[in-house]
Amino acid sequence: MIELYHIWKQYQKPFWALDDVSLEIKDGDFYFITGPSGSGKTTLLKTIFREILPTEGQILINGVNILKIHDSRIYTLRRRMGIVFQDFRLMFHRTVFENVAVPLQVTGVSRKEIRRRVFNTLQKVNLHQKMWDLPSRLSYGEQQRVAIARAVVNNPEIILADEPTGNLDPELAYEIISLFKDINRQGATVIIGSHDRELIRHFGDNILFLQKGKIVGKEGRA
Amino acid sequence: MIEKVKFFLTVTGNNLWQFRTRNIFSVTIVCLSFLTVGIFMSLANNLRATARDLASNMTVAFYLDRSASAADTEALRQEVGKPAFVESVKMVTPEEALEKFRRGFPELADIVTGLKANPFPASIELRVNSKASASGEVVAFVDSMKTRPGVTDVLFNQDWVEKMQGFSRLAGAIGAFMGGILILTSFFIISNVVKLNVFARKNEIEILRLVGATNLFIRIPFWLEGIVLGFLGSLLSLGLLLVVINLFPIYLGASLGALQELLSFRFPNLTQAVGLLLGGAATGFVGSATSVSKFLKV
Repeated sequence: MIELYHIWKQYQKPFWALDDVSLEIKDGDFYFITGPSGSGKTTLLKTIFREILPTEGQILINGVNILKIHDSRIYTLRRRMGIVFQDFRLMFHRTVFENVAVPLQVTGVSRKEIRRRVFNTLQKVNLHQKMWDLPSRLSYGEQQRVAIARAVVNNPEIILADEPTGNLDPELAYEIISLFKDINRQGATVIIGSHDRELIRHFGDNILFLQKGKIVGKEGRA
Repeated sequence: MIEKVKFFLTVTGNNLWQFRTRNIFSVTIVCLSFLTVGIFMSLANNLRATARDLASNMTVAFYLDRSASAADTEALRQEVGKPAFVESVKMVTPEEALEKFRRGFPELADIVTGLKANPFPASIELRVNSKASASGEVVAFVDSMKTRPGVTDVLFNQDWVEKMQGFSRLAGAIGAFMGGILILTSFFIISNVVKLNVFARKNEIEILRLVGATNLFIRIPFWLEGIVLGFLGSLLSLGLLLVVINLFPIYLGASLGALQELLSFRFPNLTQAVGLLLGGAATGFVGSATSVSKFLKV
């Protein structure tokens, strides 16, 4: 369970990127955070994977206050999460296989096991036939699927995706979100930051609406 | 564990290859720095060995007055043979001295051919025990004999031994000074090359952090890169040193004439060679570690 208590974040005075945000996300939830550009979606996601620290407030994941984890131990938190970015953040000089294998390599999984799990994951996102290609040879949608495969390859408890469909046409966007739905059905908590209302209306179980850093509405269990 | 080692080696290899141009540049700089150290080390080795040879063959020659009688000469021979540090005493007649000169300096043989009289005086040559050769006892004895009637001159090669030792120390010091400056340069170059590599891979480092890599996991490939660059540079310098040592007598040796013996090189011994290799690796590691800790905020 992810619990956020009175989260405030200020990058520069007098603007608050997050303004007293409190919420609770249960294990296995499929969750959308939405709002216009600059509403604080990315900031909120970044605080959850501790890319940034909130100015005030507390964040608990499964009862552990992640703000109290020492910098040198952040990896213990990140290994339980899969993160997908709008700009994919792929290593373009490495093959698709190597990109997806990275989370397993950092945890010391054997080469044989890496091969098996990467292949299975790429099969799920239908990219197994392109696993030896460089990402630059793939389409936008395929690159996004590589990023998703990398995020889920080590079976994380939580998947965070920041505008995962931002650069994609509607058809591909539906395909990508369906993929997240499949992952969610297998037990992972999925939190997606998106401003695509159509998509949210179609897939959204739990929706949190942000505006200027404030929660302005909730739907579902949100 | 083995998997991780394999992984680090693969990543390091890939990274070295990816930025090969700047890596070749830093290997070249390390190589030239360690080649400088190696050249002076080899020169110092040779001078030290020459000094050692001289010390182990230390001789004192007492040149005798031409008017000295056979009895005086015999008395003198008895006297110089007394001290415990004297290993052997040999009488050298003027004829033997002339013959020795002809054998030792064939190119100068013409000078003495036309002379009506033999210019070389008789002498007594002592071979001094190598352990005692550097002691003040020998020097005091030689000094006391200089004023002895019947002795016109004394030639003692201890001066040469000391000069050789001095040259050897000087060559070592110049090597250490120049090498030190160049190694420091290598250190900064490796440091900057690794810094460039860190910047070039910022995106990758960011990804590694986000997928849960430890700080050590991110740093190790950069450290290995530094070590490999330094090690390759010093290994290459040993290879080049071997070439320099072998080519030197061919291209420059003859023009040095009598100095050739002194200015020739002796390849570093095993300890020195291993020292150079480890020095290269250490330079690379320290350069890279400094850069990584300074510019990689992990």
